[in-house]
Amino acid sequence: MKARKAGRQQERAAPEDQGAAPVPAEKETWAQHAEEAADMVAWDNVSFAYDGQHADIDGVSLTIRKGEWVTLAGANGCGKSTLSRLMNGLLRASSGCISIGGIRLEAGTLGAIRQKIGMVFQNPDNQFIGATVEEDMAFGLEGLCLDTEEIRERITRYAGRLGIGQLLRRHPQELSGGQKQRAALAAILAMEPELIILDEASSMLDEKARSEMLELLREMHGETRYTLLSITHDAEEIFASQRVLVMDRGRVVADVAPDMLFRNGELLRLCRMEPPFRLQLARELEQRGVMTADGVTGAMLNPVVEEMRKWAFGSSM
Amino acid sequence: MGIRFEHVSYTYDARSPMRQTALQDVNIRLAEGALTGIAGSSGSGKSTLLQLLNGILLPTEGTVKVLDLRLSAGEKPPKLAPLRRRVGLVFQFPEQQLFARTLEEDLSFGPLNFGASPEEAAHSARKALAAMGLGESLLRRHPLQLSGGQRRKAAIASVLAMGPDILVLDEPGATLDQVSRSELIQLLHRLCREEGKTVIIVTHRIDELLPYADRWVIMHEGRAAFQGTVRELVDTAGKLPDYGLAVPEPIRWWRELEAAYGLQAEEPCLSPAALAERIAQLVQTDARKEQAYA
Amino acid sequence: MREKLLIGRLIDTGSPVHALDPRAKLTAMLLYAAMVVGARSWPALVVLTAFSFIVMASTRIPLRTYLKAAKPLRVLMLFILIVQCLAVKGGRVLVAAGSWHVDSAGLEAGAYAVARMVLLVSFTALLTFTTSPGQLNQGVEGMLRPFTRIGISPERLALMTGIALRFIPAILDEAQTIMKAQASRGADLKELPWKEKARMLTALLVPVTVGAFRRAEDLTASMESRGYRLGAPRTQYRPLIWSYRDTGFVAVFVLICLIVVWIGWI
Repeated sequence: MKARKAGRQQERAAPEDQGAAPVPAEKETWAQHAEEAADMVAWDNVSFAYDGQHADIDGVSLTIRKGEWVTLAGANGCGKSTLSRLMNGLLRASSGCISIGGIRLEAGTLGAIRQKIGMVFQNPDNQFIGATVEEDMAFGLEGLCLDTEEIRERITRYAGRLGIGQLLRRHPQELSGGQKQRAALAAILAMEPELIILDEASSMLDEKARSEMLELLREMHGETRYTLLSITHDAEEIFASQRVLVMDRGRVVADVAPDMLFRNGELLRLCRMEPPFRLQLARELEQRGVMTADGVTGAMLNPVVEEMRKWAFGSSM
Repeated sequence: MGIRFEHVSYTYDARSPMRQTALQDVNIRLAEGALTGIAGSSGSGKSTLLQLLNGILLPTEGTVKVLDLRLSAGEKPPKLAPLRRRVGLVFQFPEQQLFARTLEEDLSFGPLNFGASPEEAAHSARKALAAMGLGESLLRRHPLQLSGGQRRKAAIASVLAMGPDILVLDEPGATLDQVSRSELIQLLHRLCREEGKTVIIVTHRIDELLPYADRWVIMHEGRAAFQGTVRELVDTAGKLPDYGLAVPEPIRWWRELEAAYGLQAEEPCLSPAALAERIAQLVQTDARKEQAYA
Repeated sequence: MREKLLIGRLIDTGSPVHALDPRAKLTAMLLYAAMVVGARSWPALVVLTAFSFIVMASTRIPLRTYLKAAKPLRVLMLFILIVQCLAVKGGRVLVAAGSWHVDSAGLEAGAYAVARMVLLVSFTALLTFTTSPGQLNQGVEGMLRPFTRIGISPERLALMTGIALRFIPAILDEAQTIMKAQASRGADLKELPWKEKARMLTALLVPVTVGAFRRAEDLTASMESRGYRLGAPRTQYRPLIWSYRDTGFVAVFVLICLIVVWIGWI
């Protein structure tokens, strides 16, 4: 897998050297450009250290394709948040190269890149800038220099879409946790970013709000115009994504399908996660020799038990 | 004794235009020496309920009886200090309840306030630290230098150091990772079983606490919508969605098994291991029957 | 704690006062403060009070809400009343006990001072009841515009006050939770002696400050990631538009101000 990645990076090295978002003139560059355009995020050997010495991000290379839904997993303090903050230049990498949507992240392109990325943070209280939901949504749009009509139209459209149309005049403290995170997401979506980073955005929500949030992410993913990068410990959210990058001490140590993560004890330990109930049940059943993924050992099963078997050993959530 | 709520209501800012009723005519009993889980969607009144347990809030209607104390609406409350020593309340965010310069100072804060000598306080601080599985090397640290999981345990230890009979926790696992969460629940379970403490835990992850809780209270819109044993919770689980909660997977499957095999009288098996074990038995019996027919 | 503070809350009734330009309301407010200071006689105060009632009524917010806004200051008002009663001598003796006495002039001066204070506070509340914090901020920014030349950055100031307005309630809430946690561990602020109270409040300072910094850090990240840079070009969702109504509103205040001052002179 690493070899494949390295190969792809070499292929891409040429157009990147020509500068940000080259306008292709010939057929070959077109092909290369198209290949590159399919990558929403491309990191090449990026390192970063808060104190300038101990690497908090240690030579990470990764690519995320357009429309993909990727989970970033790992124990607390492994560098997940740091990695996400390097994406839009909230932190500056000390070495290596980051490209977002084909634009290389530099001082001059910071504005353009931040326009492409929307970030939702963990604590819904602390990311509100406006004193009402409406003012908060307007904040980012004013920065895009849109006119009043356009701002109003976008606020109405995205607030409606996230079901917070009636809450526009409310102060953030008058909202429930779930409503706050919807409002935060609405403010981000209204800016029409291509890449959305969710930094433990659902970890402070209750069960119901969490599953509503997950449903929203599923819908957004279905629209294919968004690339999603979510940092989460939530098993269901991980299952809904397509790919999991596991981090440990500043490095990406695994790039696996969600299913594989939950079947790999070592990776789970790294992420300080437990398999979901269904997989634990499957393992316990298997250990007792009652049943396996293929079927029953011996006897006919009662329909309910058979149904449970399919659920526990199935691969979807 | 234990804890009893009799027709308890609580209204914030009762005399202002912004009045908000958080609890309405709540009648519950929380058993002594048991581990009780309290669940409910946000805004259902869980946090208000907890603050009534040690007199941080006093009922605006009705009576709260905790241990041998009585807090009645309209009556002058008794001295609250003894109540607060015996009912330890752990708030949701550890950052909001660790305020001393070192962890040691923080841990002895409670005991000293309740009249312990410095030696006694230092002793209970160390004991509480050990009970939460933290090492003494942390004592000199500033509480905010601890990791998230350590900080959470330290906050619980700081309450435990007062030697309460009743330990009340508001979402102790929120923002922790899964492994730390289940370690924490097991620690609290042990405190209940081995030291006989009454433990009350507010949670929004019912499934994680299911294998450990003896009793449950479900709050909905300021009322106690359900209270009872795990067995009773399983019986009424169908109503959980009405209270804004999902039916936990272990309960869902146990109910299906129950219906198929007629196990309604049994104690539900809700952990993966227990459930698998029970299924193994059921399948074996099925197999034996099959052989007998053949 | 926060719930009790009425000042600073928008009460949206959709009245014509709500729709005015915040700069007009701020200017009117300044004129009003000048009037309260300038109203040097009872007739002037009566005119001012009558005028205040008319403006308050036009906001369609019930009068008692304004009075409630002044309520947190009742202890201070009582204090002022007592001090004035004891300090100002003259007129008839109302109450006498031994060597000290309260005179009618003292009571009058006290009542006058309290009346002015009630008017000022209620009317300040009017500003916040009818203007959202965001608009208010925009108004302040607009009014400070001319000071750009002497090195004041209205944008920076507006940003600072905006964030303060946004976060003060949250920080108060947090302080309250910490106080509850302290009380739960046997240090109830209500029951402690004064010296201990001071010590507990200092203990409060560290976690509250740490909390405020954490919020500030999160907020900065949230603003930056939404593309905010100080000084970068921005549009305004609700640009301030000065209309003839705003001119009218301010003109009425100027007029009343002249009347009040004139009554005061004669």
